[in-house]
Amino acid sequence: MILASSALFAIGIVGVLLKRNPLIFFLSIELMLNASNLLFVAFARQWGNMTGLVWVFFVLVVAAAEAAVGLALIINNFRSKQVVDMDQFDKLKG
Amino acid sequence: MVQSILIGVLLLSALGVIFVRKPVHACLCFLVTLLSLAALFLQLSAEFVAVLQVLVYAGAILVLFMFVIVLFQDAYLQIDRSAPKSFAPLLYGAIATLLGTLFYFGKDLVKLPAPQGLPANYGTVQALGEALYVQFFFPFEAITLLFLVAVVGAFYIGKKWT
Repeated sequence: MILASSALFAIGIVGVLLKRNPLIFFLSIELMLNASNLLFVAFARQWGNMTGLVWVFFVLVVAAAEAAVGLALIINNFRSKQVVDMDQFDKLKG
Repeated sequence: MVQSILIGVLLLSALGVIFVRKPVHACLCFLVTLLSLAALFLQLSAEFVAVLQVLVYAGAILVLFMFVIVLFQDAYLQIDRSAPKSFAPLLYGAIATLLGTLFYFGKDLVKLPAPQGLPANYGTVQALGEALYVQFFFPFEAITLLFLVAVVGAFYIGKKWT
């Protein structure tokens, strides 16, 4: 289970680093959050302790908030530049 | 046995998410990932978390992604032709090495005892609710505030400026 979770996390990292499509970028972030969820549930089962299950709730809330704000950012960027590309998010570049 | 099949489906569909070209297909692969993950949660006797996974992820977050895809249908045509980043082979090598060492040494790195016996009410809604609202009351309130801020921020960012 630990190996599956870390493999899922690695896949998410590859997606974040390689993809230029912001939608796939956010899907990869969701993959990483899901990997952490899997680890939480697996260890909660291992030790018979439900605290891990409670933390899954918090990770879910963070994932939902991140999806909402991120997709709003994509929409805003698309409106101003008419292109969807991760490299276009460079306004804060020094 | 069932667990290893589920893990195989999980990893294959997760690979599909990042290697499929069309965003809609990536979203569908992500749906398969979520469902297999929910089945894994059921295997790990966390029933309510599995239900919540399907409800929140497949029911809300994925639908949000689908809406954004529908909104920008033709914008993705420009991106498919764009060149991949230059350090891609290096990155693939690094990830492959990482995964290789992980799978080779992983079983020795983490030596866990056999799972302990579960309490009778493990994973039920009642026990989870007690833990969430009694033991974790203040973190719960804090995360509610975080979510409120995120919703207001999403409205503010997505607003049409005229």
